[in-house]
Amino acid sequence: MSGEKPDEQEYSFTVVKWFSLAAVVYLVVGALVGDFIAWELTFPELNFDNPYISFGRLRPLHTNAVIFAFGGSTLMATAYYIVQRTCHVRLWSDKLAWFTFWGWNAIIVAAVITFPLGLTQGKEYAELIWPIDIAIAVVWLAFTFNFIMTIVNRRVSHIYVANWFFLSMMVMITILHVVNSLAIPVTLTHSYSIYSGVHDAMIQWWWGHNAVGFFLTAGFLGIMYYFVPKQANRPVFSYRLSVLHFWALSFGYVWLGAHHLQYTALPDWTGSLGAAVSMAMIIPSWGGAINGVMTLSGAWNKLRDDYVLRFLVVSLAFYAMSTFEGPVMSIKTVNALSHYTDWTIGHVHSGALGWVAMVSIGAIYHMVTKLWGREIYSVSLVNTHFWIHTIGTIIYICAMWVSGIMQGLMWRATDDYGNLVYTFAETVSAMHPYYALRSIGGVLVLLGSLIMLYNIIKTISGARQPVSAAAEAKA
Amino acid sequence: MSDFFSTDWSAMTTTDWTGLTILLVISGLMTAAYFTILKPANRDNFEQHRDFVNHEDDMELDREERHGQA
Repeated sequence: MSGEKPDEQEYSFTVVKWFSLAAVVYLVVGALVGDFIAWELTFPELNFDNPYISFGRLRPLHTNAVIFAFGGSTLMATAYYIVQRTCHVRLWSDKLAWFTFWGWNAIIVAAVITFPLGLTQGKEYAELIWPIDIAIAVVWLAFTFNFIMTIVNRRVSHIYVANWFFLSMMVMITILHVVNSLAIPVTLTHSYSIYSGVHDAMIQWWWGHNAVGFFLTAGFLGIMYYFVPKQANRPVFSYRLSVLHFWALSFGYVWLGAHHLQYTALPDWTGSLGAAVSMAMIIPSWGGAINGVMTLSGAWNKLRDDYVLRFLVVSLAFYAMSTFEGPVMSIKTVNALSHYTDWTIGHVHSGALGWVAMVSIGAIYHMVTKLWGREIYSVSLVNTHFWIHTIGTIIYICAMWVSGIMQGLMWRATDDYGNLVYTFAETVSAMHPYYALRSIGGVLVLLGSLIMLYNIIKTISGARQPVSAAAEAKA
Repeated sequence: MSDFFSTDWSAMTTTDWTGLTILLVISGLMTAAYFTILKPANRDNFEQHRDFVNHEDDMELDREERHGQA
């Protein structure tokens, strides 16, 4: 293979630009819907007796918007960007890349229409109805095929570790999505899962946790392994550790799903296996977090004025925290308290807002300046975004931690005669202040995403360019 | 304790055997991966890529040592 690297103009970056922009728009939409439903929980009057905007219908819209619209667009933007830059070759097929862009966005539009109408399969994180499931498989395979063929055509011999993480995500999500979505259609909008009872639950959570493990972890570790060393201009702390924790994650994650089903009809040993492997997964997860953070060894001063690095490093801190918390929650004794409570919501959002969103935001800020060849419109606005997002996330997760633990303790509290101390309604009432706090945290995250959208639009439109980021930072 | 570790092998279904086989194969592969990656002799082979993303413009990338794909 020759080592010739194409000029920047020879890369397929237009589709990356569009995916990046779409990701920011979907971040705003996902946060808006999420915060609205948080307020609905705080003040149920906000349901307005309107089924189309009720919590039950908007909740899957929120989760799909943030995971698949925002997260998916970020993953597609970064995967297409990184694979070209690290393989020194243009994307294998521009047409296929555009097919993934328009196909993915059409799926998102379909979700926006079907969820408020109440059309769902009722499987968490896999709610979309069967025709859309088929469309997802087709677009995802097109994305995967284009990525693999670009690697096949690479002009350097080494396949950088970030690409391995993306590949792992693509292969596993294909298997998980297809197997979990197998269903017998009865009409255009309704179908029945081919699994029943406990098998359905097991398959569902095999998918559910691996959507976290491969879509929201492996893919975003790929992002981390490119953008952290690139932005810090430092070598990765240990390349061996990156390879080691890649294989450990890939082999280990698929066994975890059963920890979502402790104390259910699932055989007891299955939950124990899920919890045991969850504990073991702390090692590779922290391997990644430590590798990312230690990449800054000798360059910590960069955090003082590098706005992108700040997002990336704080995301790793949240990643380490949530990948410790998750295994702890999977232990049966802890799970007996935490399951079905708001603690789970807090845990998910420390991963989603802290890890996934912040590493994505850092990567997008980095890419926007590179792709459009412009300094960011306002560094001050990025700094505001960083603090407002961080504070909003902390308020959110702390409120849910307190609320969740209190909820679990109230549910299990018994008097001397073994009677429950609290009625369910009393536990709901006790949650109210924390639901309000969570909603306020959500407002901050939403404000931050709006600031980001404004800043990026101004950057792209060249309203005040070229602006010296360093000069503005000093000011 | 002996009860805990005892297995009724005759009750194993095809699914059980498939699962057990996959588990053993993956455990073997994982062990092999650990040995290969942590073997001191392989250290330089891996660590030469540490600064890969910061040398995107550097044609030296193609002069990798002992890399099978070159």
